[in-house]
Amino acid sequence: MFIKKLLRSSNAALLFITIAVTLLFYIFNNNYLNFDNVRNILNSMSFVGVLSVGMTLLLIGGEVDLAAGAEACFSGVVVALLINAGVPWGLAFFLTVLFGALCGLINAFFINKLGFMSFIATLGMMSVYQGLVTVITQSKNIQIPEQGFWVIGSISLWNVVPLAFIIMLVLMIAYSVVLSNTNFGRSVYMCGGNRHAARLCGINPKKISTILYVNNGVLAAIAGVVLTSRMHTASPAAGSSGAIDAITAAVLGGVSFLGGAGGMSGCFIGILLLNVFNAGLTAVGFPSYWQIVARGGLLVLALCLDFIGARSRRLALERE
Amino acid sequence: MEYFLEFKGIRKSFPGVQALRDISFRAEGGRVLALLGENGAGKSTLLKILAGDLSADEGEVVLGGAPLSFSSPYDAIKAGVSVIYQERQLIPAMSVMENIFAGALPRNSFGFIDKPRLKKDTQAIIEKFGLPIDPAAPAGRLSVAYQQMVEIMKAYRRGSSVIAFDEPTASLAEAEISILFKLIAELKREGKIVVYVSHRLAEIFQITDDIVVFKDGALVKTFVTDETSEPELIRAMIGRDIGDTYANLSRNTEYGETLLEVRNLVAKQVKNVSFSLRKGEIIGFAGLVGAGRTEVVRALFGADPMISGEILLEGKRVEFKSPAEAITAGLALCPEDRKEQGLVLYHSIRDNVSIPVLSKIRRFFFLDRKAESALAGGIVDKYSIKTPGIDKIVVELSGGNQQKVILGRWTSDQMTTKILILDEPTKGIDVGTKAEVYQMMCDLAKQGFGVIFISSELPEVIGVSDTIYVMRGGRVTGCVHRGDATEESILSLAMSDTVKTERGDAK
Repeated sequence: MFIKKLLRSSNAALLFITIAVTLLFYIFNNNYLNFDNVRNILNSMSFVGVLSVGMTLLLIGGEVDLAAGAEACFSGVVVALLINAGVPWGLAFFLTVLFGALCGLINAFFINKLGFMSFIATLGMMSVYQGLVTVITQSKNIQIPEQGFWVIGSISLWNVVPLAFIIMLVLMIAYSVVLSNTNFGRSVYMCGGNRHAARLCGINPKKISTILYVNNGVLAAIAGVVLTSRMHTASPAAGSSGAIDAITAAVLGGVSFLGGAGGMSGCFIGILLLNVFNAGLTAVGFPSYWQIVARGGLLVLALCLDFIGARSRRLALERE
Repeated sequence: MEYFLEFKGIRKSFPGVQALRDISFRAEGGRVLALLGENGAGKSTLLKILAGDLSADEGEVVLGGAPLSFSSPYDAIKAGVSVIYQERQLIPAMSVMENIFAGALPRNSFGFIDKPRLKKDTQAIIEKFGLPIDPAAPAGRLSVAYQQMVEIMKAYRRGSSVIAFDEPTASLAEAEISILFKLIAELKREGKIVVYVSHRLAEIFQITDDIVVFKDGALVKTFVTDETSEPELIRAMIGRDIGDTYANLSRNTEYGETLLEVRNLVAKQVKNVSFSLRKGEIIGFAGLVGAGRTEVVRALFGADPMISGEILLEGKRVEFKSPAEAITAGLALCPEDRKEQGLVLYHSIRDNVSIPVLSKIRRFFFLDRKAESALAGGIVDKYSIKTPGIDKIVVELSGGNQQKVILGRWTSDQMTTKILILDEPTKGIDVGTKAEVYQMMCDLAKQGFGVIFISSELPEVIGVSDTIYVMRGGRVTGCVHRGDATEESILSLAMSDTVKTERGDAK
């Protein structure tokens, strides 16, 4: 109960936990906070970070996209193919973003036109995208010789803060404004909080949901392109755990899996905690396969806290 | 008969409501006992206590001399009590025989399900009741009526000595009802105790032996069916003291031009409904739960599809494909279930009142928070909502204040609402606040709103509305002015099986 309150009460508490975890790992391994490692943490954070922006919006609106990671991976492959076919990298980036939007539109079609549960529709699409990527790449990495494209993933400010991280930060700030200061943002909260009531008040929940999925597809494409640029390579295995990580980060940050609650700042701290934790496990020499178990455990823990919170709110309502 | 079910001094209260007060009566084996009463009279609560869904605060239920104590529906079944609800409780993908024997499937010597025996035993029960049902058919494929028969056979197979029905004929056609009655007669012949809850008086006279009438959670009187009459039962069900609440309302007397005219509206559970509403008028929709009143306004509001019919708004033909279109045209709906459909519970008063005007309170791309605060603050003042501030989460407000938040949402200066639809606005609200809500409705009428008021509580529909439409089974069975309306006349229109033709255009 205490931990639940601490996690729920404010982002400050979560930030405090993050700092404590960081210091703990630093005590175990003094190299944990050197420039190279910090840059690595920020770099790997930015991929899941961009994904979690779209995921946070979806979750607040009462939706979810389990295919986000696969969409990012597919987008990486698409951008690589385009560039290797001679398309200028800027244009290739733009076309890939359109491709991401299309992926989102497909999800939205299944969910809003055909009435599938978002879980099922996006789980199915995840498999489809992963399969297509395997077919297209023959399970091999696609190298990108075009050095101009590498820029997005390799520049960093003062040699510590990578451009990818700045992109993530800018997106988070922009979407934070969208969520709390625009009609659209408010509509997302209302749909996630009570879809029926929102509809009877004149909001079109299907339209909101469609926008959220398209938006998520665009963000997944950006995440995929940035990752590909950093690696100079499109890998069919990249980002396979992207959706899970993004959900973990968002829910850790207080975004409710049941919709209607949470915010971008919580999501940011969730991402920070998740990555500090992951990198820390590596730094202290925790076996890499076990790290997957630890990450899954973290998601389950975050969901437990979310559901316990929701249940105690519901019980409070029934007692009334 | 020595075998009987007896209720002794049952009391049950929910926060703010005394649902059952000191209920005592006895149901004999081999007889059918009817529970009769208006909505909210306490029949369902009693049935839930019998089924083990709820436990009584005081009193006991005695079956065949031994007191029953249930802590769950499972206990009730074990003790021999089966309640058959309106919603079917079968597993649709499983076969009829598996459903009938659920929880007690016969096993062979290997410990597997003994299918031949299962089929044979099921066939025996089906034949006993003389029904054309295939034991191997999936239950979900059967018609609603036969699914109900399967439930009855399930109760019979369990050896239940008490079988209670909650409005079993609500969704059955005439022919199916006669099969049901044959089954009930068979149960009766076997000496079972049958408890039958229904609103249909004709049925009650057809199959029951005893009638217990409830009103406001109390037992009014027990009748022997053969010795009573329809008017006597209706008199027993009503006759509550209406008091001065309604006499003291300050009403609107000036009606303007016709705002809304609905002609031959057909939608799901709505059959050919017509009515009209003038500026400054309050029209009431009376009827029993499930009469189709909510469905009428949902179809009108664009929340559910309209199959056919015409809607004229200020003389112009309109059709709303979504609530958004209806709102733009000047309609507003305060839905039946405040918590499920009216409010976004875990958000603030501010968030809740601004939803329909989000596109109006903006500055460039951004939400104008100042305008939003002013809007919410204005509503809190105007309706004197009891709250420390506009950022209070609505779930923490009382029912009455929640209702005011919804009313405020639709009547703010930012809105262009002309027609307010209130579906059961006083549900779960204490008596004092109810009077406040009635006066609010009258005030809104004075301001020129047209008000559509749906309520299952007869006194309030009669006391507040200027014109009352009575619905039954999806149709309007009558239209009565307040002056001419009595609880008796409305109730007989709402319950009686003979559909009265509309009394012309009563206006």
